Amino acid sequence: MKVSLFITCLCDTLTPDVGKDTVQLLERFGCEVDFPAGQTCCGQPAYNSGYVQESKQAMKQMIRAFESSEYVVGPSGSCVHMMKEYPKVLRDEPKWQARAEELVGKTYELTQFLVEVLDVKDVGSTFKGTATYHPSCHMTRLLGVTDAPRILLDHVKGLEIIDLPLKEDCCGFGGTFAVKNAAVSEQMVHEKAEHIGETKAEYLIGGDMGCLMNMGGRMRRNDQDVKVLHIAQVLNSQ
Amino acid sequence: MSIKIGTKTYADRIQDGIDNTFMRQAVSSAQGRFRTGRLSAAEELGDWEEWRTLGSEIRQHTMENLDYYLHQLSEQVEKRGGTVFFAKTAEEANEYVQKIAREKEAKKIVKSKSMVTEEIGLNEALQESGCEVVESDLGEWILQLDEDPPSHIVTPALHKNREQIRKTFVEKKGYTGSDQPEELAAFAREQLRKDFLSADIGVTGCNFAVAESGAVTLVTNEGNARMVTALPDTQISVMGMERIVPTWQDLEVVVSLLTRAAVGQKLTSYITALTGTKLEGEVDGPEDFHLVVVDNGRSKILGTEFQSALHCIRCAACINVCPVYRHVGGHSYGSIYPGPIGAVLTPLLDGYEDHKDLPYASTLCGACTEACPVKIPLHEQLIRHREIIIEREHMGSKAEAVMMKGYAKWASHSAAYKLSTKMAHTALSPWTTDDYIEKGPGPLKGWTDSRDFPAPAKQSFRSWYKQREKRRSNE
Amino acid sequence: MTIHHRESFLEGLADQLGRPRKTTVEPPAYSVKPQERVLAGASPDELVDVLEKQCEFIHTSFEKATVETLPQTIRAILNGNDVTRVVAAGGPRNQVSGMDQFYDQLRTEGLEVLVWDEQQGREQVTFAEKAGAGIVFSDLTLAESGTVTLFNDRYNGRSISLLPETFIAIIPKSTLVPRMTQAARLIHSQEAKGNPVSSCVSFVTGPSNSADIEMNLIVGVHGPVKAAYIVVGDL
Repeated sequence: MKVSLFITCLCDTLTPDVGKDTVQLLERFGCEVDFPAGQTCCGQPAYNSGYVQESKQAMKQMIRAFESSEYVVGPSGSCVHMMKEYPKVLRDEPKWQARAEELVGKTYELTQFLVEVLDVKDVGSTFKGTATYHPSCHMTRLLGVTDAPRILLDHVKGLEIIDLPLKEDCCGFGGTFAVKNAAVSEQMVHEKAEHIGETKAEYLIGGDMGCLMNMGGRMRRNDQDVKVLHIAQVLNSQ
Repeated sequence: MSIKIGTKTYADRIQDGIDNTFMRQAVSSAQGRFRTGRLSAAEELGDWEEWRTLGSEIRQHTMENLDYYLHQLSEQVEKRGGTVFFAKTAEEANEYVQKIAREKEAKKIVKSKSMVTEEIGLNEALQESGCEVVESDLGEWILQLDEDPPSHIVTPALHKNREQIRKTFVEKKGYTGSDQPEELAAFAREQLRKDFLSADIGVTGCNFAVAESGAVTLVTNEGNARMVTALPDTQISVMGMERIVPTWQDLEVVVSLLTRAAVGQKLTSYITALTGTKLEGEVDGPEDFHLVVVDNGRSKILGTEFQSALHCIRCAACINVCPVYRHVGGHSYGSIYPGPIGAVLTPLLDGYEDHKDLPYASTLCGACTEACPVKIPLHEQLIRHREIIIEREHMGSKAEAVMMKGYAKWASHSAAYKLSTKMAHTALSPWTTDDYIEKGPGPLKGWTDSRDFPAPAKQSFRSWYKQREKRRSNE
Repeated sequence: MTIHHRESFLEGLADQLGRPRKTTVEPPAYSVKPQERVLAGASPDELVDVLEKQCEFIHTSFEKATVETLPQTIRAILNGNDVTRVVAAGGPRNQVSGMDQFYDQLRTEGLEVLVWDEQQGREQVTFAEKAGAGIVFSDLTLAESGTVTLFNDRYNGRSISLLPETFIAIIPKSTLVPRMTQAARLIHSQEAKGNPVSSCVSFVTGPSNSADIEMNLIVGVHGPVKAAYIVVGDL
């Protein structure tokens, strides 16, 4: 099965290790992974700020980049959800809309792809420690991927998952929200960091780098000793 | 009052909210209770998604045929001895109510809780005409005594604690008791009883009017709406024009959704459906009934992509799950309609000029959309507002516009993008210590004021991947 | 004139909706009907059980009685709340249920009992305001929510169930239905037949309450402080 990796701009620049783990994980299950080099950013920073015209330029670049792909898989619920919105955003340009529809039909978030397409529940990984899992808002509410990450994590040997209090509350990232509404964002991420602290878990696991960067950055500022991991890193751990 | 409350800037209001520790604690505990109540009520009902679908279909059908149903409603009210006044603006509505008050030589007017009368500033208008206006919902009464606007559409005095309430009662009403909620409420009961019995006019809002029979339905727990409509000789009900359902069967569905979504109750203590004037032989109830149907900017929403915002049944479920509201409270929105629905509705009703920050007061986490019992896509409407603010109203900052132009170039040219991934690490290295940035430059500052930012990796993923491919092809 | 500014107002709405004014609308066919499944097929006894259970959540006392035991059941409630003044709904049901005789009996014992009578006018409201208990018959009883439906009229003044501290509802078992769906259907069909709905339909669920002060539930605000339901098996 041929899979094109949609790395997301955050992982590309800030956390390349997440990308490496994603590639290895997919290859372990027999996927032939390629990386279309034309890909950039999904367009979300501009789209969610109201700069729709600007976001469309990013979207079209992404549509072109993945045009010949069989499957497109990305380690982010939020960025993948943005892709799913392309046809709506491009509704006034029927040709682009059609190309966007085609992209939507073959695009998956990583855990969703593992569970729904590859039909995997146990990736055979081992990871020792206690962790809490943050179900990011876009992954769960907007993309609708709720069970897949937990199914996969529950099968990781040695891993104990402790429920995060008020886990469904947003961490305060919200893309440009974190900068535009920094004061509110701070309060939100502070509360989230407290809840993570209450679990006494050694690790925080999530499926979206933006949220993890937000929570991790706050916990580092708080001197909280919790290590932050993307779910791909845990699933690829031996 | 009007839709807009206060004159402070958005940033100041937000900071006031954040600094108000009692309010935030009250809001977070209220959110907890509301959430549990709503979720368990939904679970108990079963098929909650099906109920939401039905609710949304009823509201959609009603809005699409609003002219027809309002016509039917007015015919029915007339048949039952009532008078109907269609008001395009707040001023028209207020002037009509003032006129009735004059005709009745009304001195005292008692009110049950109503957001639309807050919106049009009816109390102020009536006071200007020399009437005494008494709010009878416990929360609204507290706020009225304290001259404070509501901060929540269901529990308006959520931001006040018992000590503040006691103080208000002492100062304004000569109260001498403790700050026990039961004792405070008993005092309010005793005080307001006198007002109910002596009022000349009762003014209510309207949760839902029923077109087929002309009924105005009021949903309360305290029983004050029944008092307001059973005792004074004249009843005036003011409704936003969208607060209508076609039939009784539709009514029962939206009421079931409202009480569950709002407070987790199967029904509230009183659902009261009032039709026209009292009938022959009836002893209590109004001799004279007026229904005021208010537009005040709503019709501009009809027929647009925001039409579903008119589906709102004012349950506050979106407010009760909103993580932003949780930390800033209702007054931060600067509108009598706070929270996600407030951020959607306020700019529509009152323009972008004063409210352009509201659509950005959301992380777009979608909790509101998920909680809405009539499936209004609230977070999507917030995004659409942002688009209008930037592209139609040109209200974005110049700096941001320049940045976004740059973004578009960067994200649509893979070479530029690739170059940036190469440069990022070096570019940010002056600010980097131990792979983190603690005091970032430019737009990063907002971020690093409260949290660290990971420094870009020395080698981007794409560069690593390219090397790997090279290595592989050489092997 | 009793309808003001309607035509221009409604024309404006039709314009916004981008079509001419509608003079007829086909009743819509909604895609789902979850409300019809709630307690569907429940027997009268099962509905009584549901009602009894719901009473625990709505701070309402629940009693079962027969026409024969109804007076003593009510008497116990009155005594328990030190009631000396009673206001009660009038009408033919007082005869069928034996309440007429019971009220006479109470009077001979020194209680003040007012049975609502349109001839007596507004004085009754003043009486009700001072009464310790108000007694009404439920017209339709919604088991799911524990709701007493009152079609207020010349026999059943709005004040009876509202002003006294204790609210007593006599619930004929035959009035039990699953939920508000059935009440709405009944009213809708009556409307369609040209029988106009009561000027005040009160769906009453337990005593009045409020959570406006720090979200603390306070039972008894403007309306009754206590509520008692008595299901009468043979009514």
